[in-house]
Amino acid sequence: MKIMKLAAITMAAILPVTSAFAGFPEKPVNYVIPFGPGGESDITARHQQSFFKGKFGQDLVISYKPGGGGAVGWSQLNRMKGDGYNIMGINLPHIIVKPKQKNVGFKTEDISGVYMFHYTPDAIVVNKDSPFKSLQDLIDHAKKNPKKTIFSGSGKGTANHLAQVRFDKMADIKTTYVAFKGTGKAVAALLGSQVSAEWGYTSVGAKHSDKVRMLAVAMEKRHPKFPDVPTFKELGYNLVSGAYRGIAVPKSTPEAIRTKLSTMIQEINADPEFQKKMENDGMAMLNVDASEYDAFIKKMTGIYLDAAREGGIIK
Amino acid sequence: MKIDAITKLEKADISGMLVAIILILVAVLALWDTTEMTDADSFVFPRAIAISMISFCILFIVTQMIYPSIEGNDEARVVGGSTTRRIGLVLAMVVSSLLMPWLGFLVSGVLAFGSIMMLAMYDEWTLSRRLLFPFAGIVIVIGFYFMFAELLLVPLPVGTLFE
Amino acid sequence: MIENLLQALTLFHVALALGGVIAGTVIGSLPGLTATMAVAVLVPITFSMPPASALILMGAIYTGAIYGGAYAAILLNTPGTPSAIATTFDGFPMAKRGDGDLAVTLACLASVVGGIVGAVFLLILAPPLADVALAFGPVEYFWLAVFGLTLISALSKGNLLKGLIGACLGLLLSTIGVAEISADVRFTFGSEVLLGGIETVSALIGLYCVPVLIDLVATSDKHLKVTHAPKGFRLIEALQISWTHKFNLIRSSVIGTLVGILPGAGGSIAGLVAYSEARRTSKNSDTFGQGEPEGIQATESANNATVGGGFIPTLVLGIPGTPPDAVILGALLIQGVRTGPSLFAGDGSIVYTFIFGLILATVLMLPTGLVIGRYAYKTIITVPKAMLVPTVSFMTMIGTYSIRNSVSDVVIMVILGVVGWLLNRAGYSPSPIVLGLILGSIAEQGFVQAWTIGSATDNLIGMFFGRPIGMAIILFIAATFFYPMIRGYLIGMRGNPNED
Repeated sequence: MKIMKLAAITMAAILPVTSAFAGFPEKPVNYVIPFGPGGESDITARHQQSFFKGKFGQDLVISYKPGGGGAVGWSQLNRMKGDGYNIMGINLPHIIVKPKQKNVGFKTEDISGVYMFHYTPDAIVVNKDSPFKSLQDLIDHAKKNPKKTIFSGSGKGTANHLAQVRFDKMADIKTTYVAFKGTGKAVAALLGSQVSAEWGYTSVGAKHSDKVRMLAVAMEKRHPKFPDVPTFKELGYNLVSGAYRGIAVPKSTPEAIRTKLSTMIQEINADPEFQKKMENDGMAMLNVDASEYDAFIKKMTGIYLDAAREGGIIK
Repeated sequence: MKIDAITKLEKADISGMLVAIILILVAVLALWDTTEMTDADSFVFPRAIAISMISFCILFIVTQMIYPSIEGNDEARVVGGSTTRRIGLVLAMVVSSLLMPWLGFLVSGVLAFGSIMMLAMYDEWTLSRRLLFPFAGIVIVIGFYFMFAELLLVPLPVGTLFE
Repeated sequence: MIENLLQALTLFHVALALGGVIAGTVIGSLPGLTATMAVAVLVPITFSMPPASALILMGAIYTGAIYGGAYAAILLNTPGTPSAIATTFDGFPMAKRGDGDLAVTLACLASVVGGIVGAVFLLILAPPLADVALAFGPVEYFWLAVFGLTLISALSKGNLLKGLIGACLGLLLSTIGVAEISADVRFTFGSEVLLGGIETVSALIGLYCVPVLIDLVATSDKHLKVTHAPKGFRLIEALQISWTHKFNLIRSSVIGTLVGILPGAGGSIAGLVAYSEARRTSKNSDTFGQGEPEGIQATESANNATVGGGFIPTLVLGIPGTPPDAVILGALLIQGVRTGPSLFAGDGSIVYTFIFGLILATVLMLPTGLVIGRYAYKTIITVPKAMLVPTVSFMTMIGTYSIRNSVSDVVIMVILGVVGWLLNRAGYSPSPIVLGLILGSIAEQGFVQAWTIGSATDNLIGMFFGRPIGMAIILFIAATFFYPMIRGYLIGMRGNPNED
């Protein structure tokens, strides 16, 4: 037995690296979501799941490791086996902001991302019957009534919260941000008029299109599903942000497998059917592959940490 | 006078008061930890609770001093049976859980099952029991393992020793 | 409508409903396996089904799992899910005195009634009731959690102060880890193990089940008293009791549905509120907590009613009512089904087929539940102690592990069990701690949010005490909290003839 194993290892060492993993994946891939089931991280993973099997012939098995707003999962990522069959979802700004707050068991640099595959852009959402018809209405109201414009949003130190902090500064207004547990609760507070508006996502606009409208979205260009909603950029505020999602592997995963995984996720991302499904849910596609990951995180770190300091989340 | 105080103390709920004192310390520890928090959203609630807990504990101790009485759940206070077996059960569960990352779920599960079975045995170990019980135990552990790992897709630890 | 009913009754759907209910009941009866997990495992299977069939399967598993939680609660004193906590209050005492079979049958009947009431509300009143969910703001959630906590006054027999201390301990424990809304790391003292906080279900298993195991292993006494040879379901007896207390059943089902509509709060609070109201209005309120059938009826009908209730915001607003609803909603999104009032208007075929399927599954729960319950009871009383204790211990371990795939949760579970056992020796019962632990995050979130909004609008007092629904809940809180004292006073005035 041992000799066989040894032989296999030597064989693998002799053969060129790429061909050793040419057959990857040969068994189901375990995809850990560091949140509970039913959230947006889960739903996007489920979208990928249904394409994975068709393209690569193996199952993508989704499991959950919730706790600490993702920290429990990420702090254990590098302890998992690095054979490519263990991958984990990662979320921005979480993996950047959390480790800067306190010891959460992992550092941003500890996470080896292989691909960032989409983001859900931030957006200001109001009820259909809201007096705020445009972003300018809201800004005017906020200027006249400092702190009395109340936003709901999902959590603190999150995309929603950091967008609120950044936008307040850009527009020179003071608003109040009320953190709810998850987007569902934040939307319920908006629909029930407990708050005046919500810092939400384009996915909220897609899901609740019969009840709400968006004043502006934080994207480079308008979202294909909402051609009538302006971007913050068009209105003169340089705000492009959202909840970015990607996939990471344990540190011990070989380079060849990382590259392979990266191309695989890219392949799913390139599928028009997948894109259609994602965009219908209000998400925006993103393609940051393994080679561009580090530069991307560096860029986002600068932006998020400034906003987090501004918002008093980190010192 | 002195005898009075002692009889009074005998009637008092000593263990209840002891717990109250420990919980006051716990609450103080919590309060101390909240001083590091900067966001009011984080500390308002735990501080309010810790302070209430301290007040209830003090109130309890004071009432016990003035009107000593042990009331309520009397049955629960009677501790009968074997303390060794109790401690053994807890140890079996804790130790096998701690060994789980190394031994894997299956092995540590069998270990836990086996040792708890010995602890819970009050009848004689007849030959049939010697054969039947361990067998049934292994079937149960493997059955649950299969159900969780294969049907419910729970990633149960395989154990680093066996990789 | 008739067309939808017929669609729900195709052989395929009946098979799905039956299979789902059986699987759900079994899963729910294992401590640690929650309805959420059962439903999540099914998601990939439902990709290849039409949406209505997928919904029927997931709904059947969900409703079965909520009922299955009653077995462990009654027979092992272990609420498999938070919604079954109050079932242990009277279920386990009943089982101990030899009425476990009756308790299981009563729970089955109550669950069926509750499930049907919830589904009927979903069928006829979903869109208007969804607006009720929206009328509940942060303050209302806060007061609702406080309402749940008032049960402490009932649960802490003898010493109210000890109950309050226990509740505070539970509330404090609920704040450990990364805070839900402020994202701050609290009370971990630098340890990674506590980052994720104390998981509620594993805490339930620890505080309720481990003490039972600890005492079970210490003596050769039987786990449950057996007063009669186990035969029959004691169905007629259970039907008689249910008929006598039919108002309790209906009231609890309605409470369960209404509270179940509230996203996030429903599941855990509904059973508590129903129990509390049943106790307050019952003639036998003194025997609540000592094996009173009305207590089981109240929680079990209420928690199954939350299934239908929880679907209301899920399907009408796209906001999940309970954690399993969140998974179901996700599965629907992937199928391309858009939720909203339009689902109920116009071509409502999916949703109505589903509701009839849910009712069908609930009805099927009666025979399957009775049979499985019977079997569970028989197993528990006949298995020798040397097999029962290790099996249950092993189940608590594997169940706790699989909630978050975490070994440390298992260790925390055992430690909490030991602490709970010790505290019980000192006269602090575990229930107030559990209530605090479960209601803590709901109370904290509501409180902090209401505080933020109230201070931003310079109207803190108006926020907390000036909103109509909030005021109504405060009145109920006062009634429940002071009722035992008032009642005692009135009895004292009249002079109680039964006084010994």
